[in-house]
Amino acid sequence: MSPTATVLPMSTLTIMKEAKLAACFGAALFVPELKATAKHQVLEEMVDHLFQNGRVKDKALVLEMISRRENLGSTGIGKGIAIPHGRSLAAPELSLVFARSVGGVDYDSLDRQPVHLFFMIVAPPQERTNIYLPVLGKIVEKVKESRVRSKLMKLDNLDELKKVFFPDAQ
Amino acid sequence: MPNSKRTLRLLVALQDLDLMIREAHDPEASGEEKNLGFSLKNLETLQTARAKLAEQIGPRWLSLYERISKRYGRAVVPVEGRVCLGCFVTLPTSMAPKKLEDSEIQLCENCGRILYWL
Repeated sequence: MSPTATVLPMSTLTIMKEAKLAACFGAALFVPELKATAKHQVLEEMVDHLFQNGRVKDKALVLEMISRRENLGSTGIGKGIAIPHGRSLAAPELSLVFARSVGGVDYDSLDRQPVHLFFMIVAPPQERTNIYLPVLGKIVEKVKESRVRSKLMKLDNLDELKKVFFPDAQ
Repeated sequence: MPNSKRTLRLLVALQDLDLMIREAHDPEASGEEKNLGFSLKNLETLQTARAKLAEQIGPRWLSLYERISKRYGRAVVPVEGRVCLGCFVTLPTSMAPKKLEDSEIQLCENCGRILYWL
């Protein structure tokens, strides 16, 4: 007799958490090609993008916080990925920006390789949805796959970004 | 930039930094980040940055910040739709964000926290 696989239904909590995460990725901002060629310029350009889109109240405060987090330890986690992140009172809601540099930027990464894909997460000190770390975790989990990294290098819009991270979402 | 606006920005920066220091020292929060592959090695740089930042804030505001932080955890709180998000009391209409933010730092009349209008 062949073994039968039992498929357990996703719990309501998991579904709700996934929906919240998907919504966060759906509302992300996208910089298809960064102008920046140095680490501090990348951070500045991405924070500026948040500011121009009304996601943060004070650009300088957010940049200061993000830069301090980088001083604590680089968020360049290797394989061409960096995830600068942090919390600031100047951010009313959690925001995510995805940016790309085809040429790559020296980011003081763990593997000393240039970074091509950047995800910036900025959240308020106490966000109601409590998905700051889950968003961080979701990105880290997905970008480990080389197939995902290749897709991210090619995608054209945010719908595709959401599909990369949530292939089963409607 | 008006002096009060500059002081308020410094207080917000200080609070952001204090939160980062707290999370970096919290085994649960820092553990999660480390598990995800992030490095948190230069903790002393945060303390140095804090000391430098605190020096820029006048003693009056710094001591008020420290006192409120000790009492509530967070000294500076956002205001959203006229509600102080520290104590959730609606602020009086006389507290107009744009005009007053430039001329004085506002405190919540109910809880005494420093207000930051979003």
